[in-house]
Amino acid sequence: MRRRMIIMAGAPVIAGALALSACSSGGSKGGGGGGGKPTYTIGFQGPLTGPNAQLGINIDWGVKLAVQQANAKGDLPFTLKVKEADDQGDPAKGPTAAQQLIGDSSVIGVVGPTFSGATKAAEPLFTQAGMASVSASATNSSLTDPANGFKTFFRIVPPDSAQGLSAADYMTKVLKVKSVYLIDDKSDYGVGLAGNIKSQLTANGVQVTGDSVAAGTNDYSAVATKVANSGAQAVYYAGYYADAAPLAKALKNTSFTGKAMSDDGTNDPKFIQLGGSASEGWQMTCPCLSATASSDEAAKKFVSDYTALANQPPGTYSPEGYDVTNTFIQVMKPLGSNVTRAKVVDGLRGVDYKGLTKQIKFQPNGEVTEKGIYVYEVKNSQITAIGTVDKLISG
Amino acid sequence: MCLTDHFWQFLVPGITLGSLYALIAIGYTLVYGVLQLINFAHSEVFMTGGFAGLFITQALVTTGVTPHGAQSVLYTVAGLLGGAFFGAVVAFLLERVAYRPLRRRNAPRLVYLITAIGASLFLFNLAGKLFGRDRTDIPELYHNGVVFTLFGAQVRVQQLVIIGTALAMMVLLDGVVHRTKLGSGIRAVAQDAQTASLMGVNINRVISQTFVIGGLLGGAAGFLFGTYLNVHYQMGFLPGIKAFAAAVLGGIGNIRGAMLGGLLLGIVESLSQSCMSSQWIDVVAFVVLILVLMFRPTGLLGQRLGRAA
Repeated sequence: MRRRMIIMAGAPVIAGALALSACSSGGSKGGGGGGGKPTYTIGFQGPLTGPNAQLGINIDWGVKLAVQQANAKGDLPFTLKVKEADDQGDPAKGPTAAQQLIGDSSVIGVVGPTFSGATKAAEPLFTQAGMASVSASATNSSLTDPANGFKTFFRIVPPDSAQGLSAADYMTKVLKVKSVYLIDDKSDYGVGLAGNIKSQLTANGVQVTGDSVAAGTNDYSAVATKVANSGAQAVYYAGYYADAAPLAKALKNTSFTGKAMSDDGTNDPKFIQLGGSASEGWQMTCPCLSATASSDEAAKKFVSDYTALANQPPGTYSPEGYDVTNTFIQVMKPLGSNVTRAKVVDGLRGVDYKGLTKQIKFQPNGEVTEKGIYVYEVKNSQITAIGTVDKLISG
Repeated sequence: MCLTDHFWQFLVPGITLGSLYALIAIGYTLVYGVLQLINFAHSEVFMTGGFAGLFITQALVTTGVTPHGAQSVLYTVAGLLGGAFFGAVVAFLLERVAYRPLRRRNAPRLVYLITAIGASLFLFNLAGKLFGRDRTDIPELYHNGVVFTLFGAQVRVQQLVIIGTALAMMVLLDGVVHRTKLGSGIRAVAQDAQTASLMGVNINRVISQTFVIGGLLGGAAGFLFGTYLNVHYQMGFLPGIKAFAAAVLGGIGNIRGAMLGGLLLGIVESLSQSCMSSQWIDVVAFVVLILVLMFRPTGLLGQRLGRAA
């Protein structure tokens, strides 16, 4: 009993001391090894296990590829390493994963967190530690709200408010539907996105009905029946592929004949693998560039390099993860062997880097300036790019 | 009105799910009958059936091609038998490894319960480690077309297969329990184990057989559930808890009660969604359970198989 009390009292003290030492010695010159170059670590936080792990794995391989290429080039004044912290995409595990990275003084910046809920939970710690976290995928609108005080948070994808607006306009102006059934998965991400879509649809004069179904629900048959009965011309699912797939299957078994859409959380080959033939014809909005669907030379090279390293083709947000890492490297390079967490944060504020996916340049609140939303469709069991929403509406 | 509108559209999936709950619930109720033990590891017997069916059908079906005709029937039966067989194997081993040593040592009731929960945690984590933690689909075994329309509700092949198989298995089981020597043994042990053993009933063997029967039904249900939704390492958790609720609802220890409870729970769950948002689905099942227990503590049909009633 007494021992337990000591541990309970001691744990916060130790954690605090660790955090402090991490602050003061941020960017220490690590172990180094031969050559006299210091070693710095780029952290990655996201799900590497759990039901939606693929989205984290996609980014993680992008990070590893960028680091491998930078090290191989040989012109860096330091050696780079990657440290992974698995948060399973779970908000409850977000702070622990963040603490793992903060506690390691060689980590000078973090790619991630991957999911919005985990980001919200982890960001106060990163702000406290003065460490930059640049997400390649967390799109919840409120994350960049100054009221949160997330001072070291950046992202290279536009927020859900942009995606919600585009998705709603796409359904109204391109698909020309008059009624939409909107389902969210009760996560920070799903609810936020659904809210944004709903307000824009209502503004466009579209009738919206909806439901909330907690992620992890297995049986979507009753939900699908409701969608079919509602007579809606389109259904939009705001959530991740692990639940979008069973929903697609359940919908296929009803009389529903309208258009089915989802978001960037569903825009992954895993959706097709899980949903089978039921995923055919689904459309996804995504603020992401699909490297495999691109004809750009740089993108093609990325696809082949990535596939060679990861033994699987790049998925959703793989190019973004690659870009974030390269942005970090871009910022660190001029700092030479004098990289600190604080200098990286400052560097990111002024960065202007042409990545694979877009020109990376941040607004003061950490939001990226370029905001293109793409539409993808499952055709012949492949995710195919249709185009950006702006172009589809105007053309 | 929410209930009367589209009543049949919600009733058909309700019966489908309910018949699966019923199959699992029988496993709980049988074991409770002979051991007065809530075998919480039964949900993992169910999961085993799902995985066994998955691997067997994956091996049989050529990817991308939906089988038809005799092939469909053959593959479905193979998956079903495989699921039932491996479900029974796990249930048998569970009794041998986890429960029999406790019985030999006359362990208190609480120890059984904790062992059951421990076995359940062990098994599903083992499955997660061995087979991965992703959801996996059982390949399509037949073209899932509409067979007929019932008052506006489409009834599909899959639903008929599930309901039909479940009903057939339940009728068969009812016959076994009430008409065979094995069944008399089970009922005798359930009524009074000590007297039964004095009458020459081999209690250990009857208990093993009871676990195997529960495992057969649970494993088959796992495969059917997998074809309906998907297979993953935690697939047993919610259906397991709900089937337990169904067994209590019908009167724990009572086989016909478990069947009735399962069906009822599936239907109530499905129909409730026509009135409420889907986030209430899991709450409804347990509210029904609490209400029934408040007014009828022994369940709808009473505890007939066991010593109570």
